[in-house]
Amino acid sequence: MKTTQPSAIVIGAGFTGCALAYDLAQRGFLVTVVERGELASGTSGRTHGLLHSGARYCVTDADAAIECIQENMILRRIAKQCIEYNGGYFVALDDADLGYVPAFFQGAQNCGIPVEEIDVQRALEAEPALNPKILVAYQVPDAAFDPLRLAMAFAASARQQGAEFKTFHDVVGFLRDGNGNICGVSAVNRHAGQPVDFHADITINATGAWAGKVAELTGIPVPVRPTPGVMVAYEKRVTQRVINRLCEPDDGDILLPQRRMAVIGTTSFEVEDADYIPVYTDQIKEMHKRAALLVPELENIKMRGAYMSARPLIGGMMSGRSLSRTFKCYDHRTDDGVDGLVTVTGGKATTCRAMAEKTADLVCQKLGWQRTCETAQHTLADYHLYYQAAEVTA
Amino acid sequence: MTEQLWQVHFKVRRQRTGGKPYVQTFTLEVDPEEYILDAVERIWAFHDRTLTYRHACHHSTCGACGMRVNGREKLTCITTIRSVTQNGGTVRIDPLRNFPVVSDLVVDMGHFFLRMDKSGFNSVAPVAAACLPYEQPQSAESSTGRKPERLVDCIECGLCISVCPAANTDKEYVGPAVLASLHLMYSQNPSQEFINQADDHTGLWRCHSAYECTEVCPSGVDPAWRIMDMRKKVMSDRIKSIFRPRSQEKKNV
Amino acid sequence: MSNQPQSANWPRWFDPRSRSLGTFGFILNRVTALGLTLYLLMHLIALGQLAKGADAYDGFIALVKNPLFKLGELLVIAAGVIHGLNGIRIALNSFGVGVRYQKSTFIVLMAVAVLVIAFFAFKMFSEG
Repeated sequence: MKTTQPSAIVIGAGFTGCALAYDLAQRGFLVTVVERGELASGTSGRTHGLLHSGARYCVTDADAAIECIQENMILRRIAKQCIEYNGGYFVALDDADLGYVPAFFQGAQNCGIPVEEIDVQRALEAEPALNPKILVAYQVPDAAFDPLRLAMAFAASARQQGAEFKTFHDVVGFLRDGNGNICGVSAVNRHAGQPVDFHADITINATGAWAGKVAELTGIPVPVRPTPGVMVAYEKRVTQRVINRLCEPDDGDILLPQRRMAVIGTTSFEVEDADYIPVYTDQIKEMHKRAALLVPELENIKMRGAYMSARPLIGGMMSGRSLSRTFKCYDHRTDDGVDGLVTVTGGKATTCRAMAEKTADLVCQKLGWQRTCETAQHTLADYHLYYQAAEVTA
Repeated sequence: MTEQLWQVHFKVRRQRTGGKPYVQTFTLEVDPEEYILDAVERIWAFHDRTLTYRHACHHSTCGACGMRVNGREKLTCITTIRSVTQNGGTVRIDPLRNFPVVSDLVVDMGHFFLRMDKSGFNSVAPVAAACLPYEQPQSAESSTGRKPERLVDCIECGLCISVCPAANTDKEYVGPAVLASLHLMYSQNPSQEFINQADDHTGLWRCHSAYECTEVCPSGVDPAWRIMDMRKKVMSDRIKSIFRPRSQEKKNV
Repeated sequence: MSNQPQSANWPRWFDPRSRSLGTFGFILNRVTALGLTLYLLMHLIALGQLAKGADAYDGFIALVKNPLFKLGELLVIAAGVIHGLNGIRIALNSFGVGVRYQKSTFIVLMAVAVLVIAFFAFKMFSEG
């Protein structure tokens, strides 16, 4: 039972790591986040940026859908500072799509997702760039967010609660105590090129798509498969709302407005190493086609950028899109006989706060530290305050 | 991405914290349609894991990957290799200017972000207000029962500050981005606070019309225009204040 | 020079590499300002000399007929015209006028400056 202030190391400063640092710090932990790059420089930064209503998963993955809608409502309240909330449409383009409608509508009801049919004429008036041939349209509470600023907002809140962020510190090994349990990490300060050790009561591996590689450093297996997909950004903000294709989750079925851009995504394929994933021309061409199906004028609009993002999919018998998009916490004491280490991986950007909550609950339970989560109750700190005045170099 | 690969020499400015800066050359085979940031990532992934650089979104919304490419400020995630060099060419990569260099291509944006915060910068605004007044505002309704909103143009990338000759010599100057932020916030909420912050020797009046900020801005903020428009607004406010009754003056300040 | 803002970085103001038209206007205004200030100083010194009487005046006139001096005077005219016209552009911009057209304004005004300078060059060097 922990009676003095417990300390924690969080490896990874993506959405999960930053949200977890905030949750643990708010529960009284002394938190150190160790991240090899900039905040959100892994998968999180390159997320599509969709704050899911969950409707996309309501048929094939109800658990993920329910998580999404709950967290969608929480984040819209606590993270207003980096969210464009204009709602979204699900649109059917052909008979196959229409065939999906009943399951879609029923699934949304079951998962508690507010879905409302909207007259096609009205939809086209509200979004003039939409493909005029749409057959049916449904309104959902989708939103778009800025990835780095969402991570920064959690990080700023964590710092306000006393957490420390060691960015550009690469974890190269784990420290073990006399009983073979994890008591910290050894890292390299990449700015200075100097080694540095960090000690803590508990270490949480929140490195997402790299969770397997990081756990391997100390010989522990974690079955996560980096599964990237391509995103293409265009030079014009063609719609105000998120446009989703009404069908089973497929390639290129989401078109997201963000600032002055429209971003289409995505594809899905597995890789061994998420450190560098090139962008493939054939995938870009496929995305152009899909984008033009939803908004025909995109065929003539210049591409602004193309990039890859590696989802952390938890390994199992199935692969790719049929794998669950929810997350998993691994307590390595029960799974591998090694105490002092917990891994959290999988999940989606939209559910980062819930992932942090569940992981922090597990951590508190392990250490006998009785504190409950309050992160859903307070608005996040302004993301600028990640750079607190005392810390900046002159 | 095209079929034919180019051979390009990347001369990257390196420096460990507190150490001496030096230039290191990496020769890569790259697809010219890829972006400069992709090349920097390749250097890190396959040539030198000690290279440090900032990046997050890879599609011009986060503002983290600003660097100088051949001496010119660029947002490297949307700058194609083809646009800055040719097959067999050399590309020089340096960190942004006018920010403290932490290591390699990483600069400390802390001071700048805190100044943006002090200016009251809000990243989200109604679509009509987010656009420049001289553009056609996109009129649309929203499904949410509220006016449509969007993330505003300024991504706080710092390119404008890096290129500004006033920021080159005066560390007190808040910089084009902060002044543009004051202008944006004032146009949504005409409060005296924004006028007072802008009307300062470290604010609007330090600008000496080089207009490079607007040239390098990757997001269409047009800080030069906003600075001059804010001067108009400040002058107009100061002149009006001469005729304002004293009691109202006290309320405004 | 350091990467960070400091007064010692001022030479960078005059480096036109990788810069746009706005910087050329910026550099021109500073160079012409320095030139005109230097000219003013020289002018006052010359006038001071003239206060010394008729011989000094004749000597002075002989000096200014030197073609090199004429070139110097042409440079002063050039500096005055460039600084003045560009200054008008900057002054208008500072009141929010024509900022979006600052590049085309610069080109037009500099073209006018070139014409004026050419006119004066012709006048000064074609007559005796």
